Amino acid sequence: MKLTYPHMGNAWIVIQALFNSLDIDIVTPPYNSKRTLNIGTKLAPESVCLPFKLNLGNYVEAAEQGADTIVITGGIGPCRFGYYGELQGQILQDAGYDYDVVILEPPDGSLLGLASRIKYLAGKKNSWPKIISAIRFAYYKSVACDRIEDLIHGFRPKVKEPGQADQLYDHGRQKLANAMSYKEIDETVRWVQTKIREYQAGLDTTIKPLKVGIIGEIYTVLDPFSSVEVEQQLGNLGVHVDRSIYLSGWVGQHVFQGLAQGYRSIKPYHRSAKKYLSHFVGGHGQESVGAAVKYAQEGFDGVIQILPLTCMPEIVAASILPRVQEDYKIPIMTLTMDEHTGRAGVQTRLEAFVDLLERSRQSKEQLTREDVLGFAGS
Amino acid sequence: MYYYDYYPFWAGFFYSLGIELVTSSPTNRGIMEAGLKKASDDTCLPIKVLVGHLQAFKGVDAVFIPRLVSVEQKTYLCPKILGLPESVLGAVPEGIPVLTLNVNMREGRRSFLKELEKFGVQLGKSRGQIHQALSEAYKWLRHYEYLRKEGWDFEESISCFDQIMDKSTGDRIKKADNNTGTDELSYPEQDNRPTIALVGHSYLTYENYSNMNLLQKLKQKANLKVIENVKLEEIEAQHMSLRKKIFWSHAKKIFGAGNSYVSNLEVDGIIYLSCFGCGTDSLINDILARNARISHKPYMVITLDEHTGEAGVVTRLEAFVDMIERRLNNETNLSSYGECLDRNSSIV
Repeated sequence: MKLTYPHMGNAWIVIQALFNSLDIDIVTPPYNSKRTLNIGTKLAPESVCLPFKLNLGNYVEAAEQGADTIVITGGIGPCRFGYYGELQGQILQDAGYDYDVVILEPPDGSLLGLASRIKYLAGKKNSWPKIISAIRFAYYKSVACDRIEDLIHGFRPKVKEPGQADQLYDHGRQKLANAMSYKEIDETVRWVQTKIREYQAGLDTTIKPLKVGIIGEIYTVLDPFSSVEVEQQLGNLGVHVDRSIYLSGWVGQHVFQGLAQGYRSIKPYHRSAKKYLSHFVGGHGQESVGAAVKYAQEGFDGVIQILPLTCMPEIVAASILPRVQEDYKIPIMTLTMDEHTGRAGVQTRLEAFVDLLERSRQSKEQLTREDVLGFAGS
Repeated sequence: MYYYDYYPFWAGFFYSLGIELVTSSPTNRGIMEAGLKKASDDTCLPIKVLVGHLQAFKGVDAVFIPRLVSVEQKTYLCPKILGLPESVLGAVPEGIPVLTLNVNMREGRRSFLKELEKFGVQLGKSRGQIHQALSEAYKWLRHYEYLRKEGWDFEESISCFDQIMDKSTGDRIKKADNNTGTDELSYPEQDNRPTIALVGHSYLTYENYSNMNLLQKLKQKANLKVIENVKLEEIEAQHMSLRKKIFWSHAKKIFGAGNSYVSNLEVDGIIYLSCFGCGTDSLINDILARNARISHKPYMVITLDEHTGEAGVVTRLEAFVDMIERRLNNETNLSSYGECLDRNSSIV
């Protein structure tokens, strides 16, 4: 048995850690690329959402490396993701890939069924205590991974030389992926922190970069390929990016059913969304609205929502966000992602958005100096 | 949104409470265009139409938009419907309050009753009245479902409720049933015509403006079957063939009915009516298409959007019916070109 799994941003680091410590043979598919997307688009139904297509591409590329079992989480809706595994299995079968799909979810609500599926994957050699400690370790790693990402987000707008942050990020991720003990994980996080401090020594700290919150559908937010690296692009434009959901937050909420909260808990979003959307709508629709409200209250300069085309929960959120925008006077931009990978288009929109934010900040400052006319005329 | 499924339920409910119900006029160009302007551009056609309808309301005391979370155990409805009251709020003309309540059958009937009671307080009705109204509503709904199963179309079934509302006695339901019962024969099935099953969301198949009168067009050419003709037990049975159950009630219904038509020898072809951007359809359509291909059943998907080019739909429809007729007349399972066109047939 050779396991494989779909990509979602940095999730591979965590999943790899989990199965490595259980001593299970895995194939990590090549990272999402144009080829992945092309394969996926060819096989998938036309109007299905982007993550579905990328997943399919991942599986095919993993099959080329000898994988024969897919592991994926499930759920019982109302988001489409809950039905991914089922349909993808059928599609792959028809396309001639003989995959065994294991969906990690309680089938018909029976936890025993879930346990037997986990046991099936782990094999006889692993005892339950060992499985649980492996899960704990992987979870710890995912929290560390999210911390590093957040550090990089804060660092990117302040770099002296372009590319410095990306280099550090790649390095840190690699280090983290190789870390095999709790101590090494902690050290990696500390290493990134000291590096950032070194780079920033002697920099002007009075500059306050624009702050933009990223909200939206979790796959497109976490996966830089599907969002044409929106976060990185924004960082290079000199914007401090803050993300509403992180991998460990999602894992804590959905896999552990709220037992662990993860790096950034998604729980408080429900309360802040209450006024605008009082009921959950599946996926992260309600969380997106809540996060937008929270960012607005915290004084962020703008919010960007990212969603794949036809994503149902996020469309609901998108149709409510204008009211948040109105109430809090915070610019919100919605970016819809599909198979087109035209980077320049997104880049132009981001630049325009950042320009707009800068100008509104300037005008706020100028207003206090009673210099309104001069600004408008210039 | 689910006017075509649950209108009788709410009609019965409000009728029993003595509240006058105003339904918006059938969709027309003006409504559609108003909806397109106001609704978020990513969303699907039915929501856009709904937004248009909301804007058209004038002179009413309140608009009722229920939030349908789930209508049966263990399922949901589409996320867009879960967030409906909030997401279309901007479209309601100013000054008209919106009434809403959650319908969540996952939590059982009792919690639904509680929700209704809370709603009753808003309306200024007592608990007793609400209870009575609810049982009345269920009576109407069951009656409606019965009529639909017997092959009545939507207008026919609704007209019999309209009569009751005019005459204002609840007991007339039974009578109306007897009176109009003979109408059933007005659409005799003709043997020489092909039978075509139309599956899709009720808010598309019966929404005559946005689907360009597809129902009537089909009826002229073929014997028509729709989802409501399939028994509930049959849908459940078809559903058992899936490894994982579908968790959207509407999609489940479409799949169950569609799949039973696939294996039904009397049905000559299936048309799946979908709309652009429909999330559930994108998956269900794929499963159904696969099953249809395996059992060699003609299958066509029509995807609706804001375009109103009628000719395109007519052409496709005619081609589909022609193809089926030809298939019925000279049925060979050989491809005319000698090439294997579908995956299971072999070239002999």
